[in-house]
Amino acid sequence: MVQLSRRHLLFAAGAAAVVSMAGCGDDDADNKDLADNRVGAMDKYGVGDQFKATSAVSFSMLYNNHPNYPFKDDWLFWSELLKRTGVKIEPVAVPLSDYEQKRSVLIGAGDAPFIIPKTYHPQEDAYVSSGAILPVSDYLDLMPHFKDRIEKWNLQPEIDSLRQEDGKFYLLPGLHEKPWQDYTLAVRMDILEELKIAVPTTWDEVYDMLKAMKAAYPNVYPLSDRFGKPNPAGNLLNMLAVSHGLAGAGWAYQHTSWDANAKKFVYTGASDKYKAMLEFLHKLVDEKLLDPETFTQTDDQARQKLASGKSFVISANAQSIVNDYRPDMAKSLPNARMAKIPFPIGPVGPINPASRLENGVMISKKARDSKNFVAMMQFIDWLWYSDAGQEFARWGVEGTTYTKDSSGKRTLTPDVDVLGLNPKGTKHLQKDFGFYNGIFAYGGHLELVQSFFSAEEMEFQKVLNERPNVTVAPPHPLSDTEREQVTLWETPLKDYVYQNTLKFILGQRPLGEWDAYVTELNGKNMGSYVDVVNKAYDRYQQKHG
Amino acid sequence: MVTLDTSTPAPATNRRHGPHTSRGYRIFRVVNAVVLTGVVLVTLYPFVNIVARSLSDNASIVSGEVNLIPRGFNVAAYKAVMADPMFWTNYRNTLVYTAVATAVSLVLTTCYAYVLSKKHLKGRTALVGIAVFTMFFSGGLIPNYILVTSLGLKNTVWAIALPNAISVFNLLVMKAFFESLPVELEEAAAVDGLNTYGILLRIVLPLSKAVVATMFLFYAVSFWNSWFAAFLYMDRMDLFPVTVYLRNLIAGATDATSTGGGLGSASDVVQSAATIQSVTIVLTVLPILAVYPFIQRYFVSGVMLGAVKG
Repeated sequence: MVQLSRRHLLFAAGAAAVVSMAGCGDDDADNKDLADNRVGAMDKYGVGDQFKATSAVSFSMLYNNHPNYPFKDDWLFWSELLKRTGVKIEPVAVPLSDYEQKRSVLIGAGDAPFIIPKTYHPQEDAYVSSGAILPVSDYLDLMPHFKDRIEKWNLQPEIDSLRQEDGKFYLLPGLHEKPWQDYTLAVRMDILEELKIAVPTTWDEVYDMLKAMKAAYPNVYPLSDRFGKPNPAGNLLNMLAVSHGLAGAGWAYQHTSWDANAKKFVYTGASDKYKAMLEFLHKLVDEKLLDPETFTQTDDQARQKLASGKSFVISANAQSIVNDYRPDMAKSLPNARMAKIPFPIGPVGPINPASRLENGVMISKKARDSKNFVAMMQFIDWLWYSDAGQEFARWGVEGTTYTKDSSGKRTLTPDVDVLGLNPKGTKHLQKDFGFYNGIFAYGGHLELVQSFFSAEEMEFQKVLNERPNVTVAPPHPLSDTEREQVTLWETPLKDYVYQNTLKFILGQRPLGEWDAYVTELNGKNMGSYVDVVNKAYDRYQQKHG
Repeated sequence: MVTLDTSTPAPATNRRHGPHTSRGYRIFRVVNAVVLTGVVLVTLYPFVNIVARSLSDNASIVSGEVNLIPRGFNVAAYKAVMADPMFWTNYRNTLVYTAVATAVSLVLTTCYAYVLSKKHLKGRTALVGIAVFTMFFSGGLIPNYILVTSLGLKNTVWAIALPNAISVFNLLVMKAFFESLPVELEEAAAVDGLNTYGILLRIVLPLSKAVVATMFLFYAVSFWNSWFAAFLYMDRMDLFPVTVYLRNLIAGATDATSTGGGLGSASDVVQSAATIQSVTIVLTVLPILAVYPFIQRYFVSGVMLGAVKG
């Protein structure tokens, strides 16, 4: 008995020691003290400076492998990066198809590389409470280019929308000077000419155009859409939602939308604006202007209908026009011409609905203890947020992959092709050199972002750039318990909204039953959800003004 | 002993009155043939379609003209895929991983099953229980990842071969088979002077050709098709098997348009040509398709192994 109790005592003492050690990780103190982490960092590093590590450094990075330009370690990108910055990247390759899952496993197992790019907000929310990623907002002093851009381009409201409950944000987003709206509707321009209709600018004009098309071609559904998997009519619903002043629907469904007049959040799927959207779509289906199969067909089926002349209007972005529709129709409809129409204007008036934030970079908490931490932050700042870094990531090396004339206009060297801009080129900017890689090159100055755009895309963007930006919702970060609670409600709510969206549009459920539908949503905790969000908004306002 | 009774009708007319010649049975045979032919056609159609697509040109596929016959016949897609060195590296990886993993699995499963088939083994119930327990419960993704990584197996073929080396279902089938072998054989061999290993290698295994071939087939096909273990434990593209390569090509193409909110990031939209996808599918499936007809007789009899023996 004596032995047992002594062993018990020893065990208890050991446990107490471990517990007190665990409590000993005081984060706030070592926030400020970076003296041990400056190996390789530049002493003076400011806006306009080229980052060059003062000693050889290497950083591990999660590499999202895109099947169109698979990773090659002999890319000019890597060697030139080493030359300019002294940094060697050690990539952990992950196929694009399952990037999010591998990222979750690595972070959960504590094995994540230091730099974790291609993170779309709000994906970083899940990792905040585990403490596995760094609150980057504490280290902005190490990133002069990032701070400069936020100031110059007035991105403070957008950055605030990334803040968590503790007032810090955990993601370094891609920053755009001007929002880049890519998706819209594309229309058979030759049919418009034939029927002598002007290019529509508002949703009402779109309706008129579809009616005129139907009158001339009664056996055709003029609009048969794609992007329906896994969210039916993903793009079409989203376009209508933002035109009506909602945060997003379809493939970008946001449960709550900010009502600037009432100064609170409302539930998107139950709002009057959503009802107006559904009424519009129901009208289209009723008058046989919108193909009901839009909501269930695959992209390939929609493309086939367009290519065989069984539809005239479809959702598009710049790439799909060049890579999908024009080649699809080259043989079957040689006289057809597809082009994007300006983003249709809805009840809120002309807006550019895109966000100015992009996918971004998370930093693993373990990087904070590395002796090269400061050098790493400066490196990230240079590559992703400086003019020189972004130009390098997108265009490559002057003289080898591009040339610059006296006015600063860049052109690809004749042998280099990207996005079909130089079809006779034998080398590909992405595949052979590793530039314009989706991990490194996005965001930035308007002229840089648009530097690969075709002439017609520039026309489209010119119209959109003249429109005001969409208002950003104020921050409303949830606590961990709230987030867990809300996650339990989200899926049934979203499923129910989607099911009924389809039923209302297709006429399977009369729109007169709207109030009954709202009551049913309330029964699924919609009211509680909105309350939680509004409380979070009030709480944040009180704490951080 | 049958005595011929010459007063019964001549044997020549027996055939029309037997159980296999009644009218009902003939109707059954016709309906059976029709239904089975239908099933075969439905099963074959996707294969023929994929092969046709791999030999057609992209525009015809998208306009929906390709069904069973290639249109715009060309082998450009085959040339494009086979010219990619990463495809061959990954293909070689698949062959290596399948070979190593199947060998490891076969050896381990046979040993464990043989041991469990001996009724006089102490702790037999516990050992069977441990195996069956893992059929229903597992540690989860992250603990497994931590285990394999901390053992230093990451980025090696052993990360694929060792975890899940023994499929419990196969184990139980083999155990049942070994139990069905007459114990007298082994006793006779022991009397003749063979030790345990000798009995296993020289008496039991030669008798178990059918079940070993079946297990070889089950394991080989499963490892050939597996992509998840490699995806999880490999950090470099040149270590992936061809199934991961294929998955990235196909699943990456459909997911990229609907993630990321859709607003912006046009550079992420992936649309691999339908021809490239079809070619990769055909090349991945081809070896298994080629091997199956030769081993399928084992497969058919193997499914019934472990069932009640007469």
